[in-house]
Amino acid sequence: MRISTGLPIGVTALLFGAAGRRKSLEDALVGRLVENDYSEVVLPILDYAEPYEALLSPASRGELYRFVDRDGEVLALRSDFTPLLARLIAPRLGGLSLPMRLFYRGDVVRWAEERAGRLRESYQVGAELLGEDGEAAEAEVLRLFLDLLASTGVPRPAVIVGFAGALDELLLAAAGESGSADLAAAVARRERSAVRRLGGSAALLEVVDKGVPADPAALGRMGERLARCAETVAALSGLHPEIAIGVDLAEFAQLTVDPRLGTSDSLQRSYYDGLVFRGYAGAGGIEIGGGGRYNRLFDQLGVDLPAVGFTLGLDGLTSVATAAAPQEVGS
Amino acid sequence: MIRLALPKGRIREAALVAFGVAGVEVEKLDPETRALTTRLNGGEVEVLFLKDWDLPLYVERGIADCGVVGSDVLGEVDGDLLVPARLRDGACHFSLIGKSHDLPKAGEQARLATKYPKTARRLLADRSWGAEILELSGSVELAPMLDLADLALDIVQTGRTLRENGLIEVEVLDVIHPCLVVHRAAYQRHRAVLNAWVSRLEAAELAL
Repeated sequence: MRISTGLPIGVTALLFGAAGRRKSLEDALVGRLVENDYSEVVLPILDYAEPYEALLSPASRGELYRFVDRDGEVLALRSDFTPLLARLIAPRLGGLSLPMRLFYRGDVVRWAEERAGRLRESYQVGAELLGEDGEAAEAEVLRLFLDLLASTGVPRPAVIVGFAGALDELLLAAAGESGSADLAAAVARRERSAVRRLGGSAALLEVVDKGVPADPAALGRMGERLARCAETVAALSGLHPEIAIGVDLAEFAQLTVDPRLGTSDSLQRSYYDGLVFRGYAGAGGIEIGGGGRYNRLFDQLGVDLPAVGFTLGLDGLTSVATAAAPQEVGS
Repeated sequence: MIRLALPKGRIREAALVAFGVAGVEVEKLDPETRALTTRLNGGEVEVLFLKDWDLPLYVERGIADCGVVGSDVLGEVDGDLLVPARLRDGACHFSLIGKSHDLPKAGEQARLATKYPKTARRLLADRSWGAEILELSGSVELAPMLDLADLALDIVQTGRTLRENGLIEVEVLDVIHPCLVVHRAAYQRHRAVLNAWVSRLEAAELAL
């Protein structure tokens, strides 16, 4: 009998040098997390589907791999570390001292349409700061993300920063509850004419064009946060001049926190409810990770615990780093 | 340097007109050349010509910073792309095609041939009749003609092919527009150039 050497769609094996390159990168990142007093947690790759599903957005639930175990239980493969960690931490909070700095590593498995370069099984390293509210905690985590990204030496690193829900007031004022989700999607696509057609204000058009409104006061209560965030980003830019950091609220327009905007969050992973950021690297601008504040996830679990964190995708980082590295003789 | 992917297919002319207006020196492109890439605007713009169905992947993977692709293709690919402008040129549309003017009655199940299964599901989601979608790769009009399907959903431009084969455009469903698509990270790098292009397209009333 001939045994197939093929693998399922979206799955890859790292053989020989490729495995070594990813392991070196992982070890370097983990070393930096340990230096920054983050402790490792090891999380299972299998979980009951029901509680895990409840913490995911509709779009993420559609990507979940589920199956019936031989005991009749419906189980899910881990598709996102953060809700899994939150579910395990929430009932244990009484006996834990805060703040906690935790990190993890491992595979996540998500269904994705078959497409070149798109993986269904991917490897992540992530970090979470739990129990610290406020902008200082967000700045600490963003700085750690930038430190780790800079330490990889990948070419053309870039980070976009924004706020989940920053545009909610503008979206609701312009299009009301029924039209806000469509308007948010048009802002996120950067489609000016659609933003105009759907009633978007001058401030929303400025967000489409420049990433932020000319007058932060247009954002209402979020205006002051934006101004302080711009200061933080400017300070971090000074620490890592090789990383292009910018604030772009349009990038996260669909990460709404206002439940009246409803359907727009079906398109995104949307437990974020504060500062959010996303990183890219390489000549092709591959997305290599991201994170933000997600207090709302613990709210869903009935626990008041501020939380902010990020994940880095090792597959993307390794491919960008490898493409940029000088080729070994004989490779 | 910004790398612009232009389609080889049906919307090539509309894309060339639009980018000429936007400020790209497309008039310097040699129509006879077999070169796969060409530098324009003093080397500031590199143009690639790609097959329509391949173009979104090149932009999604960041090989090209931006490109022009029809909304017919865009509706079928699951790509993470920004779409800052849709061009007004709407010479083509999606239509239901059949041998008679009749649509299926409420509660009926029709066989529908198409190259665009996602679009078919989207455009027909609220119908009172059901559709069993038969995905074909070409010559979709043959399916209702030879009774492989009751209806076809396909692109109609002039309608000449339909007329010559005794077929009827039963219902126009959606206009197809060429769309400017941009890679997320490329948008951050080239925001000023891209915004200027879109502004010129809007000023010339070429963008919707």
